[in-house]
Amino acid sequence: MQRRRFLQGAATGSALALAGCTAPAISERDSGRWDQTVDVLVAGSGAAATSAAIDAHRTGVSTLVLEKLTVIGGSSAMSGGVIYLGGGTPLQKVCGFEDSRQAMYDYIANASHLHPQLDKIARYCDGSLEHFDWLVGNGVPFVPRFSNVREMTFGDESLYYSGSEKAWPYRDLARPAPRGHVPSREGLKGVNGGRVLMQALHASARAQGIRFVTDAKVQRLVVGDDGAVLGVQALIAGELRRIRARGGVVLACGGFIHNRAMVREHAPELYDCSTPWANMGDMGEGIQMGVSVGAGTLRMDQGFSIVPIYPPNQVVKGIVVNRSGQRFINEDVYHARLGDAIAYHEQGKAWLICDADSAYGYDDYRVKVVAQADTVAELGRALKFPDAVLEQTVQYYNRFAAQKQDPMFHKQEEYLSPLQKAPFVAYDLSVDKAFFVAHTFGGLHTSVDTEVLNGFGEAIPGLYAAGRTSHGIPTSPYIGSGISVGDSLFFGRVAGRHAAGRVAA
Amino acid sequence: MKPFIVLSLMLASGLLGAQTPAVVGDAERGQLAFGSCRTCHYPEQGVGHHNGPGLWNIFALKVGSQEGFAYSEALRRADFVWTPALMDVWLADPAKFLPGNTMMALPIDDPQKRADIIAYLLRFTPASDENDQGGDGKQAAD
Repeated sequence: MQRRRFLQGAATGSALALAGCTAPAISERDSGRWDQTVDVLVAGSGAAATSAAIDAHRTGVSTLVLEKLTVIGGSSAMSGGVIYLGGGTPLQKVCGFEDSRQAMYDYIANASHLHPQLDKIARYCDGSLEHFDWLVGNGVPFVPRFSNVREMTFGDESLYYSGSEKAWPYRDLARPAPRGHVPSREGLKGVNGGRVLMQALHASARAQGIRFVTDAKVQRLVVGDDGAVLGVQALIAGELRRIRARGGVVLACGGFIHNRAMVREHAPELYDCSTPWANMGDMGEGIQMGVSVGAGTLRMDQGFSIVPIYPPNQVVKGIVVNRSGQRFINEDVYHARLGDAIAYHEQGKAWLICDADSAYGYDDYRVKVVAQADTVAELGRALKFPDAVLEQTVQYYNRFAAQKQDPMFHKQEEYLSPLQKAPFVAYDLSVDKAFFVAHTFGGLHTSVDTEVLNGFGEAIPGLYAAGRTSHGIPTSPYIGSGISVGDSLFFGRVAGRHAAGRVAA
Repeated sequence: MKPFIVLSLMLASGLLGAQTPAVVGDAERGQLAFGSCRTCHYPEQGVGHHNGPGLWNIFALKVGSQEGFAYSEALRRADFVWTPALMDVWLADPAKFLPGNTMMALPIDDPQKRADIIAYLLRFTPASDENDQGGDGKQAAD
């Protein structure tokens, strides 16, 4: 970039920064003197940011965490807090389940989108047992009980099947094991995992002397003449401060689902989903700041698109059909796999067809009844499907379901029953009609060591990214609850250690 | 600063201008629009608090008063009973209405969307006058 153009950008950026917005990077020469120097600076305060700070701090370097909002914790603290771990964790063992590192790897690698980042998956699986110990060591509590629910338990159990492990075809690709590890305490009811997880980690971090500063927004990166990231400009309590980060800057400030223009541009399938799902801070600013210093991005269109049809379990005995009135998936898959199929592969349109025995039986906020009829033929006409297709679909399904078979999609036996008892009901599962939640997985391109890579695949010195600011293990389809928070925690730690390592170097 | 003073200032400065003429909410649309709020809030009876306080019977409750939820100082110090009009101001810009609060919600700029969400929430305050007059007549879900 020519210096004049850079300076023009710097001037524009200064106006943006003073207005409280994130802005393009600025050169060290134009940014003025440093107000403060730390070793590792972390932007954000969720799972990735907090684990980065903890592991950086443990190497003996000074660490500062800046959170733009009033409350720390990010999307992680608001989430279910599930952590996808395996390979035979103590929790799996005490609950009586066998698992192996290979089975965990095979599930993640095979269930994820085409050509996932296998080096990251391998690193994640290699470190799973140690990572469980790290969590426990930082005070994250688990209750040694298993739940057989299909969705996160409202009880206090800490282990469940959080993905499609038992569903076809995954059960044939990797030996199933429950890997959803939910932070919990004895007797705790409700969905508390995210709060329990982040309260424990924040307490641990603070006890170790790590400072979290709120209402402190990292607004732009400061770069040297060689392109290395040297620090940041941040707006803290209304004052613009320049903070040098000797080891590096870790961008761990979430995805971009609430930046609607960015979602429309990069992830159109997610844009159409009815329910953006994240902390209000997920505005894509970390990604934008990374791009402003030449970072590449990966799979910006991907994310989770979840249509949570269960519980109750009986609705999984229904069938899901597309605009042609035909099935396209086994309905017992993880609800993000189902949502992905609808959002990304069926033009966002689908319907759940139930009979009297499999219907919800009450008004549920997640789905709306759009047709009800005494016969399947009438239901098909009401839904304006091609003539007679829905009857064929149900006849074929019923013929084999009566024998506990599903030759087309191999749904598990327990969910196979003929649909034959009137009234027949259709629920609209379309992305813009159902409670269809969406969150982004695209982000900065990072190495397995979380270095942010430029468009040529070269590391940008001094810049790291983790969590949903980066593109990590989670892909579309999302393969199980706990992959995103698990990835954030694990690679946040990697980022913290590597950034700290640059101080000594 | 007392909320009613803030409200008066907002009225004086025209910040409530978007509210007039009154926008009629649609609870059916509101059900979907409320979806993102479920990251933190459940309106159904008996479900209780999540990241944010439960919203059952919200239009009969004094702000910041439910047991079992750790409200911010801003909400604890406020002194009013939630009404649809106050909820509209709150949703339009939570940070401006009660500075220092810790609700993790972006402002909702669209008055129709706010009205839809309020119409939906009114379903969960069964005894409210607004529900009798402006709600859709349905009882709250269990």
